[in-house]
Amino acid sequence: MQNHFLSDQDLTPFVEALMSRSPVIAPVAKRTRFVFERLATADELRLDYDTTVLPPKTVFFPTKQDLIHFDNEGFRSCINPEEQVLLGVHPHDIKGIAMSDVFYKDRQVDNNYLANRRATTIVGSSVQNHYKHAFFGSMNADRPLTGHDMFLTKIDGGYVAEVLTDKGAALIELGNFSEATDEQIAAADAANRAANENCPEKLNGTAEAIREKVRAAFDSPVWEELSRDCFSCGSCNIVCPTCYCFDVQDEWNLEGGGKRFRLWDACLTREFSEVAGPGGSENFREDRAERYRHRFMRKATYLNDQLGGPACIGCGRCSGACTADIANPVTVINKILEQS
Amino acid sequence: MSGNCDNDTNIFAPMLVEIVDAKMVTATEKHFTLKLANGDRFDYQPGQIVEAGRFGYGEIPLGLSSSPTNGNTFDVVVRKIGKVSSALVDLDAGDRMTIRGPYGNGFPVDELKGKDILIVAGGIGLCPVRSMIQYILHHRDAFGKFTLFFGARTPSDLLFEEDLEAWRCTDCMHYLETVDTPDDAWDGNVGVITTLFPKADEIGPDTRVIICGPPVMYKFVIAELDKLGISRSNVFVDLERRMKCGIGKCGHCQINDKYVCLDGPVFRFSEIEALEEAI
Repeated sequence: MQNHFLSDQDLTPFVEALMSRSPVIAPVAKRTRFVFERLATADELRLDYDTTVLPPKTVFFPTKQDLIHFDNEGFRSCINPEEQVLLGVHPHDIKGIAMSDVFYKDRQVDNNYLANRRATTIVGSSVQNHYKHAFFGSMNADRPLTGHDMFLTKIDGGYVAEVLTDKGAALIELGNFSEATDEQIAAADAANRAANENCPEKLNGTAEAIREKVRAAFDSPVWEELSRDCFSCGSCNIVCPTCYCFDVQDEWNLEGGGKRFRLWDACLTREFSEVAGPGGSENFREDRAERYRHRFMRKATYLNDQLGGPACIGCGRCSGACTADIANPVTVINKILEQS
Repeated sequence: MSGNCDNDTNIFAPMLVEIVDAKMVTATEKHFTLKLANGDRFDYQPGQIVEAGRFGYGEIPLGLSSSPTNGNTFDVVVRKIGKVSSALVDLDAGDRMTIRGPYGNGFPVDELKGKDILIVAGGIGLCPVRSMIQYILHHRDAFGKFTLFFGARTPSDLLFEEDLEAWRCTDCMHYLETVDTPDDAWDGNVGVITTLFPKADEIGPDTRVIICGPPVMYKFVIAELDKLGISRSNVFVDLERRMKCGIGKCGHCQINDKYVCLDGPVFRFSEIEALEEAI
């Protein structure tokens, strides 16, 4: 592991050098919020962002992704990855990407995701400003960061750049990096620790307590009570870094061919688990309380074995996206922990 | 347009199949006999599923309804009920459709060998278990006493009429059938499928049981099996869900933490009875 230092004034030339090699996707301002978008100019980059509307998974798993194209002769695969850099990913979002990697590799390998993932160099960055609902300091905080290639931590005067892979090491020559001093490295450690400690929201339990107590609350009236105002809109799913469900649809074009594509889907919507039946449809999660519970169960308990912890990174996007203000995992999980 | 090397690594790339035979078997169900367009043999286990599709319409999960011991062809039955199934039912012999698979866990054939078998099938639940019925009949000496219960809503909903005719006459199995609502010509049993239990020859406590039918059916059948002293670890349920992708990714078929398309569709009942969303 190597640590380098990049001064504030050397950041823009470094980003320009990255952009000259491949597209760079990074946080940029969009009115009052931030989004991950392909940089048009280096000075659009906003490493001081609090959070983005959608998580960075969009880069590997776009909201709508072509799977195959077909015509009268046959079909062809649409896997066609493009080398790119994903810059400015917060540590908790890096954990979210690592979780998605597990889902897409598990048992049946999905190269529609993984090919994009492999073609992407990830440069993380420290949290400089907290999103008002962030609780990553108490959700999977001990989970090691993996899957990224370089990490930039903001300190006075510039950034400490930690290199984690060969792909990350190859970026060093693109910028005016110097060797980081012990003081700079210590300042970076302190900044990242402080970011975790200063989260505006906090969970009152360990990962183990969350796993056990949320699972034990399956039959609790809490789900009915909390979901009473749920619109079943799926906004909490759509903004979630670890939600990966999708629908698959076909579409014709005017030339006699067409495409099969997938698009993000949401288990909170009423039709998600519905199947056609002779006497009308059969819905395996008919009640909104069942769907609401299903999402929390998946985040808090069901995926623990695969991931070694909850499938939540504490970004707080769902809390902010929910129109009815009932999706905040801190409120829900703390309530369950208190009651049990 | 085919031939792109990525087709080999794209899990959504289907195989083209030729429709060898297609016939409507009820007002809404069509029975297809298929073979791979490239001439290869399609290998699978009884009880596994495929995603059957038609370009421009989409894919649906179907249980394979013939035994893999049938040779180079294999069967599926499609009920015309939604957009994709209607597009598939519009196809005929000589046309092509696509499949992906086989996916999931089928019936535990080796574990079932040497045992008495009871299969309980309701409605089009007969289609996926027909793969196991045929398998047993093709290896008759490998299994003990074989009993099949089949229930349909009306006599016109009875599928696989030729099979039923043969099963009614054969000594190879004890076949009992019932309908919920009879017509004038029906002189058989009337009532839900559990009304067949008192009419069957003795079903011993060591019998292995397979159940497939409409969601409402399972708990009533399992209550009867409990009375017979059959262990829930010897009961296998074949479940239906919205298995949109077939590969454990899309999420629609989840039962708590299980994916029906990967962990099922055949489950040992003792392994899922604690899952609140299973039956």
